[in-house]
Amino acid sequence: MTTWKEKLADQMPEEWAREIDIFEKQMELRRQGKVEEKLFAETRLRRGAYGQRYDNGKRNDGTGAKPLDYPSGDLTKGPETVWDAPGMQRIKIPFGGLNPEQMDVLADLAEEYSDAICHVTTRQDIQLHYVHFDDTPTIMRRLAAVGITTREACGNSIRNVTACPLAGVCRDESFDVTPYAQATMRFMLGHPDVQDFGRKFKIAFSGCRQHACGLVSLHDVGAIAVTKEIDGEPQRGFELYVGGGLGAVPQQAVLFDEFVAEGELLPITQAISRVFARLGEKRNRARARLKFLVKKLGVEEFKRLVLEERKTLPHDDAWTAYLEELPSYGEKALKQAEPLAAGEQAQRFERWRHTNVYRQRQEGYCVAAVTLPLGDLTSHQMRALADIARRYVGESVRTTVEQNIVLRWVRESDLPALHAELEELGLGEPGAESIVDVVACPGTDTCKLGIASSRGLAAELRERLASKQFELDQAVRDMRIKISGCFNSCGQHHISDIGFYGVSRNVGGYAVPHFQVVLGGKWVDNAGSYGLPIGAVPSKRIPDVVTVITDAYLRERESGESFQAYAERVGKKALKEKLSDLTKVPSREEDVSFYSDWGDPREFTIGDMGAGECAGEVVSLVEFDLSLVEELVFEAQLALDAGDLEAVTEKTYRAMLQGAKALVKMQFHDVADEPDQIVAEFKQRYFDTEIFFDRFAGGKFANYLFRRHESHEQAASRADARELIEEAGLFVEACHTCAAKVGSQPGAAEKTSSDSTVVTLEI
Amino acid sequence: MSHPIEDLQRISVKFPLAMGCEPELDGVIPVFHRWIQDRAVDGMLIDVADYAHVPQGPGVMLIAHEGNYALDLDRGRLGVLYARKQPLAGDLEQRLAAVCCAALRAAELLAGEGEQFRIAGDQLEIAANDRLLAPNDADTDSAFRPVLDRLLDRLFDGAAHELCRDEDPRERFNLHVRASSGADAATLRQRLA
Ligand code: SF4
Repeated sequence: MTTWKEKLADQMPEEWAREIDIFEKQMELRRQGKVEEKLFAETRLRRGAYGQRYDNGKRNDGTGAKPLDYPSGDLTKGPETVWDAPGMQRIKIPFGGLNPEQMDVLADLAEEYSDAICHVTTRQDIQLHYVHFDDTPTIMRRLAAVGITTREACGNSIRNVTACPLAGVCRDESFDVTPYAQATMRFMLGHPDVQDFGRKFKIAFSGCRQHACGLVSLHDVGAIAVTKEIDGEPQRGFELYVGGGLGAVPQQAVLFDEFVAEGELLPITQAISRVFARLGEKRNRARARLKFLVKKLGVEEFKRLVLEERKTLPHDDAWTAYLEELPSYGEKALKQAEPLAAGEQAQRFERWRHTNVYRQRQEGYCVAAVTLPLGDLTSHQMRALADIARRYVGESVRTTVEQNIVLRWVRESDLPALHAELEELGLGEPGAESIVDVVACPGTDTCKLGIASSRGLAAELRERLASKQFELDQAVRDMRIKISGCFNSCGQHHISDIGFYGVSRNVGGYAVPHFQVVLGGKWVDNAGSYGLPIGAVPSKRIPDVVTVITDAYLRERESGESFQAYAERVGKKALKEKLSDLTKVPSREEDVSFYSDWGDPREFTIGDMGAGECAGEVVSLVEFDLSLVEELVFEAQLALDAGDLEAVTEKTYRAMLQGAKALVKMQFHDVADEPDQIVAEFKQRYFDTEIFFDRFAGGKFANYLFRRHESHEQAASRADARELIEEAGLFVEACHTCAAKVGSQPGAAEKTSSDSTVVTLEI
Repeated sequence: MSHPIEDLQRISVKFPLAMGCEPELDGVIPVFHRWIQDRAVDGMLIDVADYAHVPQGPGVMLIAHEGNYALDLDRGRLGVLYARKQPLAGDLEQRLAAVCCAALRAAELLAGEGEQFRIAGDQLEIAANDRLLAPNDADTDSAFRPVLDRLLDRLFDGAAHELCRDEDPRERFNLHVRASSGADAATLRQRLA
């Protein structure tokens, strides 16, 4: 019987084929127990084969934790990751660029090995879920045959290189960043200098400063296209930023250089990689991203080291070889430009055109956005879309960071026919890049770290908003909602007008899904500012939160005022007050629906939590204490808004101390209000016993407290103060989780291991 | 020489719902969760995947290690689907029958949840979820039809049936079956037992 490997042998790039063979051999060695599981996990991740929820062989089915008896038994593909458990395959799509042939193959793979869904991610990748690990080499070969690699899609490596989906056709760009993104991807892929990172490394390109498309500020390396006159000649280059990132403690990228000439782009990126590999943190994953190194060294020192490194790099022709091809680079339109026929069009078309069509710089052509609900499209839709692309635009298709797909170079006269075909497929909905186009990470659907159902909430919000989108005021329609299932921020909640991330709260001994409401983020200006949480609201009341906030904005805004400007003017305190009624959780007897999550009728749980009556009382006391602590963190935010960094420093420290004290009180009620004693008791009772530990991140959150207790250094800048707030917020969340755990397991204080779900992991 | 389709394992079968049966997809979510608790259908049941938000999508799926069950809406056609992923014992006809039985068992249980879940009982859609063993071409068709005909004779108790295939070579090998008379899910399943 012929295999895919034999069938595709001539179609795969030799190097890629060899790498996949090696991966397959490593799988075999792991099966034989000849490769250590941690090492194998990193190998697997670097091929984009990721774990998925319940792959530890356990699941709470609503009546309690039940074993999932996968036939592979004890065989694992990583720590606590059962071989046979379904996983996720991430597929890198550099700058989101796809051609119809690739779309066909993605459709086939989703159908044959996954659940017939291609999921577009917030970093322009495609993900397939519920994939059996044994199928991954075949998936990789079939992708390689059409020029797609999954290499370094996950793991401590350079992830997908992203870029504006409008690059090359944008009316505002300095120049098309596509060939630079492509060259960077090709040059860095598998490069020896990027194999020894302590964490992942993300690169993005933007064509201009003012729009959000590239989201440069939240990347490890972000490049904005600029031109500069040198010796009377315009020269291309990049305003280069470093050290950005979201995650638990987000950081805005800082300016590395105002102008890195195009010929220096690759060597400087290589030098940055070398410095990161050499000096970046390796042991403590929680502080291993480039942002921590840049912060530790200061950007000036970091830059000095990079430039020193640059001088020592052996010359590589690949740095500039691609520049010679630039003049001939560019997409060609499939059809001759033609204006849209005059006359009245159907209302549905006009609405779609209003929200989903962008007029290109090139006269007579448009970019049409295909709105994908939650980033999902079926195999059939993907294949049909490939056909549509062939007939209307040729090769010009891209995924977007807002989890949509765009068709570029659509001639205007084709728009009505194109829309009609999309409608046939169920892909002709309006509302792209609007409040309806809710972005969500996988959350509890498939992510191991998810706390609450981000996709369930997103689907609910989307349905409610879609039905009335054209009744909404334009100012509201232009807002964005982004949702993460936990604080790790894969749904990019920090950079939306209204962001949410999943948390859990204990009410009367029961876990209740909540979302923290994050306000103040900015999508425009390349994700120009990050929002902060103002308080947690029960998941089932989040649709009301959206209504209250948008209504207040419409009622109270000044003429032409953006939502960010409005939120800043009225202040977080006033906005939080508007939500105060929504924070209450009815008892189970009054409304049991609050105790399960969206789209999931099981009783909500963040582990195997029970409802011991005795524990319930203890937990309610500690929860009360912790709610006061949350107030302190919120006050710290207000202090930040007022520019009072001293108060931020003091309040965040006090919040962590009080959080620790609340936990200590669960075991030792008479603990004094004296910092040294609180910290010592907390350390002895919760840290040394590892009760406070997180399964993946260990003592990370406790270390926030210990560090602050040792050094009373005041926040030197707004960025520092922000970080203190984020850390205090995460410490309090960890206290909530720990309290729930201790409360649900009488005697857990004596245990030495933890099953906390407040975790951070490579995403 | 035998055709590679003889080795086919990844088989997907969908029994369309009866005319007028248009249940809310969301309604099946608690049902599938209950099936996991009760181990109501065969397989190691893992989780429920909700794709109700996807137009013309896979609806709501019950993910199992051996194969996925779904109240499926692909291409706008509602039906009860079983897509086998792991190998089955027996020859192709036996494997086809096993996959049909799994889908029919799910259909039978769903019918017990309400009239809106009733299958038409005179139709089914079969797809070979493996483009290597079963490319969508005439060769596969001629190798597969005799096997399928034998199965359909049993399933529809000798009633005449029509087959039609979407011949797009990029599609999975597929056949849509319509019989001149049908039966409910339980009866159909008994005929294959
Ligand atoms: S880690 Fe958290 S934010 Fe990231 S995908 Fe999982 S649930 Fe979403």
